[in-house]
Amino acid sequence: MCRILAYLGEPLPVEHLLFDTDNSLVRQSYSPRMMNTFLNLAGFGMKAWDPTSLRPEDPFSYRATTLPSFDRNLRFISSKLASTCLVAHVRGVTYSREAVVADTNLHPFHFVGARVVLAHNGHLRQFAPMRYSLVEHVQPELAQRIEGTTDSEWIYALVLSQLDDPYGLPDTRELADATANALRILRNVRAAHGIDTSSPVNLCLSTGRAVVATRVSFDYGWYPPDDEMLETDLPFVSLWYAIGGEYTERDGDWQMTAGDPPRSVILASEPLTTDLSTWLEVPEYSMLTAELTPEGLDFETRDLDV
Amino acid sequence: MCDRETVDFLATVPLLEGQEEPDLVELARVMRRRTVPEGEVLWRQGDEAREMLFIVDGAVSACLYVPGDRTVEIGRAGPGETLGEIGVLDGGGHTMSVRVTEPATVLALARPDFAALLAGQHPSAFRLKRRLASLFTTRLRNQFRHLAVSLGGEMAGLPADDAAPALADLEQCRAPDSKYVRRMTTFHDFDPLALWGFLTSGSYVRCPPGRTLLAEGAPSTAYYLTINGAVEKVLVRGKWRIRVGLAGPGKAFGYESLIDGRPSPVTAITRERALLLVLPRDLFDQLFNGEDAVSRGFLDVIQKDLVATLRETLRPCARLAASV
Repeated sequence: MCRILAYLGEPLPVEHLLFDTDNSLVRQSYSPRMMNTFLNLAGFGMKAWDPTSLRPEDPFSYRATTLPSFDRNLRFISSKLASTCLVAHVRGVTYSREAVVADTNLHPFHFVGARVVLAHNGHLRQFAPMRYSLVEHVQPELAQRIEGTTDSEWIYALVLSQLDDPYGLPDTRELADATANALRILRNVRAAHGIDTSSPVNLCLSTGRAVVATRVSFDYGWYPPDDEMLETDLPFVSLWYAIGGEYTERDGDWQMTAGDPPRSVILASEPLTTDLSTWLEVPEYSMLTAELTPEGLDFETRDLDV
Repeated sequence: MCDRETVDFLATVPLLEGQEEPDLVELARVMRRRTVPEGEVLWRQGDEAREMLFIVDGAVSACLYVPGDRTVEIGRAGPGETLGEIGVLDGGGHTMSVRVTEPATVLALARPDFAALLAGQHPSAFRLKRRLASLFTTRLRNQFRHLAVSLGGEMAGLPADDAAPALADLEQCRAPDSKYVRRMTTFHDFDPLALWGFLTSGSYVRCPPGRTLLAEGAPSTAYYLTINGAVEKVLVRGKWRIRVGLAGPGKAFGYESLIDGRPSPVTAITRERALLLVLPRDLFDQLFNGEDAVSRGFLDVIQKDLVATLRETLRPCARLAASV
């Protein structure tokens, strides 16, 4: 289980999102407010798009298995980077001998040359038997690029495989449809293997111009006996957003200002502030899409029945 | 510090209905009287809940800050009404900001003192838990009504095929492993023997997804507690419906009607296949009105559920209006 964060909108120093607020993403790695029994200490990763940078279509990448709260490189870099789009992730793994903490398992996943990145908050229970059944749904060239051991990287390859051109720049609708298709394939593969236990799949995908996110769980509320993740999974895995003009500090409080039409949106597993009044909870079983347009931010929420 | 005037006032407070004179005297001793001018903010949304208030005279307004730099008035309160119970019960901070709209006199009850009132085994503690359940049910109905108004249209009847089934028509099954149930937060404070008594008092049913178990506007015949799976609580108006809650493991539904005798405020439909504990009305009444360890645990479960549901309905949420 992990925590995810995405931002799309006006250029914003990345440190505001990662460090500055009283429930920032980095703080959520060691002190999450909405997970009672779990910490997210297995590494940090981010993709940040800066339109003023060299090759602006390529995101700035950073990932490290060290604790982000003590990562001085991350702190220095995030204070110098103003991004119009960011996807960041702190990874949590079960406290077991099977868990692998490695650079190759860090989100957001991003195959070289691809325009889409993906971060995942959740886990597919009994993924081991599913893995080989997914091969037929993943383009061979993409399957060969999978380096790590996570279910999330397979989900990434599966989504890319649903695009007309896995290395092209999909429009928001195509990316949303590809995500929904990938979830349907996962449901079918689970059914074929008789897997019917709770598996949260909160995804966050981005091209740098648009963000697609899901708050979904397969078979929510059903758990294997003696499950070690039970206490974490009993509540529906959370996802929140704040939308408006710009994310700014006022009288010591960070908040999203009003904006009509909206120009910025933050999506996060937990609100970045303990004050929830400028945050909205994403409904369970839904998909969000946000896209930067010349007129502002095009934003939509829809029911996702997969 | 206790005066006759305070005790006489407390005897008129609906939340304390049925409490005996010695209990009110004890309560008056630990309360602090304050006068507050018009315009004073008693607390802000999200502030740590250190006390709840009883309004002796004057009036206050409760507001919710919502995204977009807006404030929405949720309600007003006057003499005899109480404020701040949710925060002092669950420790999660005040749900709304409260401002004085007419100069007021209030009695403040500190969180530990309120907890002490509810913690006792004395009949007055049971009475207070039941009164709280009743008060929260009324507030919940008001919240659902506000949400329904936002949808517009008339309450829609369910198609005949979706009518709520009789309990006897549901697929009966075995009780779940009590080790699993004990791991739910809902039951952490339940005495183990009393939990066993609670879990064996009802029956268990399995339902496929999409099954309507309860219809808004119809009386509920049972209390349902989700053991596995999830049940959506929805409001249907015209051709639109919105989800106002999701009862996952450890969360209950169907009890509002059983508490206040009015029709169900929501429709309940299984979102996932579900395993449910069902307590028919007679068993619910027995547990709700009892005064033993099982009833005590049960009343706590209901209180937690109501508090959590109230918080959910007050929390800004992007509610999806889906067509029926």
